[in-house]
Amino acid sequence: MFGINDPGIWIIYLLAFLCLGFSIWFGIKYWNYDEESSNSSKSDKI
Amino acid sequence: MSTLTLGIIVIIYIFLIAYLGYLGYKKTNSASDYLLGGGKTNPIIMALSYGATFISASAIVGFGGVAATYGMGIQWLCLLNMLVGVVIAFIFFGRRTRKLGATYNSRTFAQLLGTHYGSRTIQVFVAVVIFIGMPIYASVVMKGGAVFIEQMFDIDLDLALLLFTVVVATYVITGGIKGVMYTDAMQAIIMFACMLFMLFWFYNVMDLGFVEANEKLTSIAPLVPERLRELGHQGWTAMPITGSPQWYTLVTSLILGVGIGCLAQPQLVVRFMMVDSTKQLNRGVLIGCLFLIVTVGAIYHVGALSNLFFLKADGVVASEAVKDMDKIIPLFIKRAMPDWFGAVFMLCILSASMSTLSAQFHTMGAAFGADAFPKLGKKKNPNSTMGVRFGVLCAIILSYMICYILSDSIIARGTALFMGVCAATFLPTYFCALYWKRATRQGALASLWVGVVTSLFAMAFLHKAEAAPLGFCQMIFGQDVLIDVYPWYAIDPILFALPLSTLTIIVVSLRTKPMIAKD
Repeated sequence: MFGINDPGIWIIYLLAFLCLGFSIWFGIKYWNYDEESSNSSKSDKI
Repeated sequence: MSTLTLGIIVIIYIFLIAYLGYLGYKKTNSASDYLLGGGKTNPIIMALSYGATFISASAIVGFGGVAATYGMGIQWLCLLNMLVGVVIAFIFFGRRTRKLGATYNSRTFAQLLGTHYGSRTIQVFVAVVIFIGMPIYASVVMKGGAVFIEQMFDIDLDLALLLFTVVVATYVITGGIKGVMYTDAMQAIIMFACMLFMLFWFYNVMDLGFVEANEKLTSIAPLVPERLRELGHQGWTAMPITGSPQWYTLVTSLILGVGIGCLAQPQLVVRFMMVDSTKQLNRGVLIGCLFLIVTVGAIYHVGALSNLFFLKADGVVASEAVKDMDKIIPLFIKRAMPDWFGAVFMLCILSASMSTLSAQFHTMGAAFGADAFPKLGKKKNPNSTMGVRFGVLCAIILSYMICYILSDSIIARGTALFMGVCAATFLPTYFCALYWKRATRQGALASLWVGVVTSLFAMAFLHKAEAAPLGFCQMIFGQDVLIDVYPWYAIDPILFALPLSTLTIIVVSLRTKPMIAKD
């Protein structure tokens, strides 16, 4: 894969791209999510 | 490019840095501003500052040279930097650290742990380890920057080192953490742009595609120098032979030492306490990962591929063209990249070094003035930052002196060494402060002692890479290491120091009286 024969190396590239994908997803999904204000609004409702 | 043009570019850059340092100085009105930026730092500036602090000249010059010599196996470090240093650090450590820091009103890493465990001893212990240990890391970063200036300007290394130190000292001492963060953000943008350009230019100049270049690098495996082959080198697109000396160095020292060590870096941890909500940290995950894959990923990748360039230009691979690993990347940039880029890349190296150094100096200064001697300079004004500023000055002088006793090819190893000590000493105590309520003061203190003593003992008597040049073991026992049987002398101290300190905090905490819950 990627012109590299050793799986010990090409897997790094694969995982790094996956990690980048996850960070983009996470960053966008939780861009405006604040844990504390979310928790306090939940407790207000209760 | 002429020295005059280079000089003008550097002067403009220094003016920009000076302006941002001044901006930090103007916005610093209290000790909290000087240490934590008032706790309301912009998330983009925080994430860029985190990334720029993380990536020093060690990562570019030192680890880039490691990639050129040992190959793409070092990319594991890039992956760990992203996964552990950003994703896990921000999501699992950052959120709780920010919350805990706000609850305790902590301004430093040592204060956070000391207040959590209700122990002034712990606070001072952490501060002392930082103030004594961090100058080693700071000095290798200084050396990385100075070596590059020496190569680019053809000036004396001593002069390069002096100029470099004076510039960083000026804006850290005056601007405090705000000055550090503003300059870090600008430096991070320069680093990002440079690495991106370098990656594209390399493929352009070599007239190769991504896959094609990798295949070509695989095909030159038979050209691995004999001295490296004996250590386990199998080519630049292959991992070293498992269990070989090169494998132990790469995996245990460089990849695990730095990859895990970054979680307990005091200068990075305090950045989590500088934002006022968790959403800033969520945004930081995206910015941090993108920054790291472009900067670290690019330099390790191009570092390994630089063998193709040296082979084409000189008929030999990188480690044969330049014997000192720390000088491979500077020479590669000088010869492979356009003239004008050499100057811009120098700014990138300066940026990488300055951003890390400024954070280190600030952290050491805080350890000295805010943790170890909190009353220093506060007789007349309780809000004075004189003690911290004096601490920064002492740290700079100490690091500067250490630079003169460093050997060749030390940059990557020096970084790994400090990060390894940080992980073994601080990580269990820090992790338990965030996640394990049963951890006790006694457990934390015992774990800190075990972590630091085991690390230092292993470096002095067990791990050949440090024990042999230090010479203590030779002096006392007449041999380089206590156990001169392979692979024991090749295993990095982190592999047993970290489990030992972790075990200590668990066992001692369970055997001592639980602490009264603060909340």
